[in-house]
Amino acid sequence: MRSTKKSVVVAGLAIAGLALGACGGGTGAGTAPGGTAGSTGEEVKTIKLVAAEYSKDHTKAFWDAFAKTYKEKTGYTLEVQVVSWDNIDQQSSTMIQNNQAPDILNLNAYASYAKDGLLYDSDAVLPAVVKDDILDTFVKYGTYQGKFYGFPDLSSARAFFYNKALFKQAGINEPPKTWAELEDDAKKITALGGGKVGYALPLGPEEAQGEFSMWLFNNGGDWKTDGNWAINSDKNVETLDFLKKLADEKVTQNNPARTNRADAFDLFKSGTAGMVVGFSPLAADLDKDKKVDYGVAPFPSNDGSESKTFGVTDYLMAFKKPGNEKAVKAFYELYYTPDQVNTFIKAEGFLPVTKSGVKVFSENEKALEVYLNTLPNAKLTPTDDPTWDKVKLAVQQNLGGAMNGSPKATLDKLQQTAENGG
Amino acid sequence: MTDSTTVAPGPATTAGPGDRRSRMPSRTARRHRSGRIGRVHPLIALLWLAPALALILGVVLYPAIKLFDASRGEYSITGLRKGDAGWDNYAKVLDHPDLGTVLRNTVVWVVAVVAITIVLSLALAQFLVKSFPGRRFVRWAVIIPWAASLVITSQLFVLLYDYNYGIINHVLMSLHVIGTPIDFLGDDSWTMFSMVVVGVFVSLPFTIFVFIAGLGAIPDDVMEAATVDGASPWQRYWNITLPLMRPALMIATVLNVIYVFNSFPIIYTLNDRNPGYLHDTTITFMYKLAFKSQEKDVGMSAAAGIFNVLLILVVVGIYLKIINWREETSR
Repeated sequence: MRSTKKSVVVAGLAIAGLALGACGGGTGAGTAPGGTAGSTGEEVKTIKLVAAEYSKDHTKAFWDAFAKTYKEKTGYTLEVQVVSWDNIDQQSSTMIQNNQAPDILNLNAYASYAKDGLLYDSDAVLPAVVKDDILDTFVKYGTYQGKFYGFPDLSSARAFFYNKALFKQAGINEPPKTWAELEDDAKKITALGGGKVGYALPLGPEEAQGEFSMWLFNNGGDWKTDGNWAINSDKNVETLDFLKKLADEKVTQNNPARTNRADAFDLFKSGTAGMVVGFSPLAADLDKDKKVDYGVAPFPSNDGSESKTFGVTDYLMAFKKPGNEKAVKAFYELYYTPDQVNTFIKAEGFLPVTKSGVKVFSENEKALEVYLNTLPNAKLTPTDDPTWDKVKLAVQQNLGGAMNGSPKATLDKLQQTAENGG
Repeated sequence: MTDSTTVAPGPATTAGPGDRRSRMPSRTARRHRSGRIGRVHPLIALLWLAPALALILGVVLYPAIKLFDASRGEYSITGLRKGDAGWDNYAKVLDHPDLGTVLRNTVVWVVAVVAITIVLSLALAQFLVKSFPGRRFVRWAVIIPWAASLVITSQLFVLLYDYNYGIINHVLMSLHVIGTPIDFLGDDSWTMFSMVVVGVFVSLPFTIFVFIAGLGAIPDDVMEAATVDGASPWQRYWNITLPLMRPALMIATVLNVIYVFNSFPIIYTLNDRNPGYLHDTTITFMYKLAFKSQEKDVGMSAAAGIFNVLLILVVVGIYLKIINWREETSR
């Protein structure tokens, strides 16, 4: 008898414990009203945004102000949760596992979500004028199976950064136009001694695909051609061979396969590295430090032909949840007003995603000219293919291996991964 | 281990080794006595246990059930559950080409960190029970690595180890021990060593204090008797101190094995520049499977998690068997 009583008490406590646990977990996700309205399909008055943290100073401030305006203008409430980049993959995955997806999620990928049928396309939630205003490149890469799902929040374009002081010391007059010149310059800078690094080459797991993209685009290569994976194309093997050559000649920093982008930037910021692929936030840091006299130029191409730039955009995707369509549409309507979107992008030091934005930035932000000119023709990684979401991870984990092994074998393996669907 | 509660630096430092002996037995004796007098009704006992039970059920059992559930599901890269996978996830984990490397790393990591920690702690604890000027300060200093968050400590070591700016390389080069910097975190032959150093560093405080408590519990009269009988210091240590330290050694080993096995931040932080699984243990392997690797599969990661739990249970079980748990706890 006693034991049954005991188990009743225990069971009761367990339930209480679970209830407590449920409230504590998910940082507010449990209270998001999206779920409660779900069963009845009635209109949702509060939506939740999970935003990536681009900077400590600006991201949260912007979204808080945005939520205030949103409430005033539309009457809907916007719950904002800002998550660091280190955590956001994990958080978003957990939310979706637990059926607690936010209404809007800010992330660097969208195609897998579209493939899983979780997202609204532009016909449902994006006003037509806004779609027309978004740069064609981004519409192209945001389109999965004929529908536009990946709405860009901001963009960046890479450019070639060089240390003018080191160039002068090494007797180099102008930034390289071809890879041969780059190699030459890197040798000269390394020869200065004192641990100077010619070219800072980050092929570590943080963003190996970004660095490699910049190089392969400027050798006429690509990740996919005509809809087929082309990771191990001759051009790409040639590109990776060249990177290995740079590493073998020791004109890069030590151990490029294990150097993350942030570390490469640190080398450039400290005046140790002569050249690096950077983007506007790096320029902002350099301007703040005022330590390095640097120049920004188009990235040299292998044969000296016109430089191509690697562009990146992140996405604000809208999750299909019963009754949230109107509120979500109102969100995009407000976000893409020039006041909002351009303010955000400017504060974070990135580049615009709309045609109107490019115009405004071109007039007012002379420092960004190098990037803005290249932006409309920027090439992106194949973010419109869900397979890429896995290939990207495979590239991050394996590309560096080519520095101690065979570039061809490395790329063959990646090609195989891609053809097998990740 | 009732003694461990009395190890707070306060009383230990104010009292010399002599009068601690007179103090401790009286405390434990009092406890034993009160235990014998009061017998509590099981329901009242349950009432007292309730918060702990609720916590165990809510924080341990419920997630464990969820984990098992997840390990049997098929998940999309987005985290969406697409259906049931049966035992596929388990098979995929066992089939993983890097599993051997990961298991070997785990063994090296746990054995190296725990063994080095225990040996160093025995020596340091021996030193810290002696009275010397400034002992209070030293004992506090020993706690610091424990008080700091593991992520912060690990990040600190990343800076110390750095190839270009790290102070360790700087010192070694200035002393002409090495000609070119060592890539502590990027060179495969150094990475595990560098991580073990940090693992030992953060495990030392807890272990030292367990041993200080253990040493404090050794009655001085036994030692005196041995000295009178002409035992050398080494004989005294080997035949009296160490056997009497067995409970403390056991606690320290078991808890350290569990902590070190489960240690995530050190390996994750120090190894984050290295691609693949070359230096991962089963814990970081599990994390990478879910969020970083090309698999990016929650179900597979959950299956790896189940293996982790089983693995640690087996290890602890074997250890307890060896050390003869029953005999020791009945003391």
